[in-house]
Amino acid sequence: MEHASFGDQRNATFSLAEEDHTLANALRFTLNQDPRVIFCGYSIPHPSEARVNIRVQTTGEPAREVLKDSCQDLMLMCQHIRGTFDKAVNDFRTTNPPDNHPSQDMDSD
Amino acid sequence: MDPQPEPVSYICGDCGMENTLKPGDVIQCRECGYRILYKKRTRRIIQYEAR
Amino acid sequence: MSDSDSEVMAEADGFVSALNMPDVPSAKLPPHLELRKTRVLCNVDAPHNTDTVQYSGAYASIGVDNSLRFDDFCNNFRVEVTRLSHEDMEFDMVGIDPSIANAFRRILLAELPTMAIEKVLIANNTSVVQDEVLAHRLGLIPIKVDPRLFDYLSENDTPNEKNTIVFKLHVRCEEKGQRLTVTSNELTWLPKGSEFLKTSESLTSTSKAETYTSFTCSQDSLPEFGGNPISVYPDITIDKLGFGQEIELEAHAVKGVGKTHAKWSPVATCWYRMLPEVVLTEEIEGKKAEVLKQKCPANVFEIEDLADGRKRATVARPRACTLCRECIKDGEDWEKRVSLRRVKDHFMFTIESTGALPPEVLFTEAVKVLEDKCELVISDLS
Repeated sequence: MEHASFGDQRNATFSLAEEDHTLANALRFTLNQDPRVIFCGYSIPHPSEARVNIRVQTTGEPAREVLKDSCQDLMLMCQHIRGTFDKAVNDFRTTNPPDNHPSQDMDSD
Repeated sequence: MDPQPEPVSYICGDCGMENTLKPGDVIQCRECGYRILYKKRTRRIIQYEAR
Repeated sequence: MSDSDSEVMAEADGFVSALNMPDVPSAKLPPHLELRKTRVLCNVDAPHNTDTVQYSGAYASIGVDNSLRFDDFCNNFRVEVTRLSHEDMEFDMVGIDPSIANAFRRILLAELPTMAIEKVLIANNTSVVQDEVLAHRLGLIPIKVDPRLFDYLSENDTPNEKNTIVFKLHVRCEEKGQRLTVTSNELTWLPKGSEFLKTSESLTSTSKAETYTSFTCSQDSLPEFGGNPISVYPDITIDKLGFGQEIELEAHAVKGVGKTHAKWSPVATCWYRMLPEVVLTEEIEGKKAEVLKQKCPANVFEIEDLADGRKRATVARPRACTLCRECIKDGEDWEKRVSLRRVKDHFMFTIESTGALPPEVLFTEAVKVLEDKCELVISDLS
């Protein structure tokens, strides 16, 4: 994971190893939603190399801090999603109690 | 030279019977007389990648 | 200009606040932009407005802030489970960007670990299925065990009870003229590890016979497997044996992820689709309503009897819509009557588990994986 910038903290490219669209596209979204970001985008330089480059240009804040904040935002969203999901599953279980057929191990479909 | 040639197991191509042949034996199944025999696989363990 | 305008209007209908003037920025998008932002329009030629507006300043010129407020996200985000069983589930996830929904889907398919057979030691196989093919078939059998209880087996690790599960398969067709179907039920778990002895070059020097694994204890002595032996997904045909044919092998399962090989994917499939929205832009009555109902193969429309004896088409089951666009195909006037859309931030998510973990656990694990990725980036940047 490198940090390539040329004496200018506001514009930087971050190269994340062992990552792909899964993280990069989600981060692109959270970065774009940050008002401090002027431009952001990502690319995968070569399909057979597990690496993405994320470009961040900001209005003044160091790009590194903005990217960190975006990761933090994404993490908070994930935690909220997890909480909401668990609650939804529990709600479903209470309204639709399982029809206690443990022997029915296999669904035939 | 090997002291004595070991008997080799063969499987009959028709009935599946196991036959043990020594050099010079007639190539024929003892059970059904079928003349096509396949060499039996040895029990040497071979490792494969399940991919 | 706006000053004189407001004066004119104020004169016309009494007092009008300048803030209510149409050209004064409000926090809301005008309806046509809201539609473009939130809906995909599925027209006859192609879907339109398929992109999502992510940039925070996208509507800055009209004074609308498009940035993400975490509180707003929390207030808008909803999950509703519509189906849940031990091996599949469907739920609606509302108020989320496709990039994140897609991240979960990708993680579920490729980055959640499971256990799968990786090494197959074949002592005997006289069946018509070649060793390689047999090994491949075994690899694809789902193993019903929680992968979180195991470690990854690194390249120079020795297989032990914490990273390997050993199964034995020894079958022979004994009946003349019969065919024996070998299924995954025949795979028996060996909690003590491999039983095959390594035929080392120096047989005499090693006092203790070595097997292909080095378990320090039996896996069934571990509390997590004590009362619940490890099994595989039952009734999967592995091979068919003729009379006298025999298979004797050991299969070693290890932990892995779907991006290495699909056999480690914990889901059969996992997909989402956006909520279809069918809007009748004008009243469709009588014969036309009948035609519309007939047109739809997914039976989305229903006919409603009005009080005065007329019949009117209604959208009864929009969720059933497959967006086949049959209803808007016959001429331009149909395209004008019916508007097919998709809601961009409403996902109907389906997870079909292979049996290692229940689907709801899989999803929670997937979210955790994304969290871990973020944490890793943060710690690397700090």
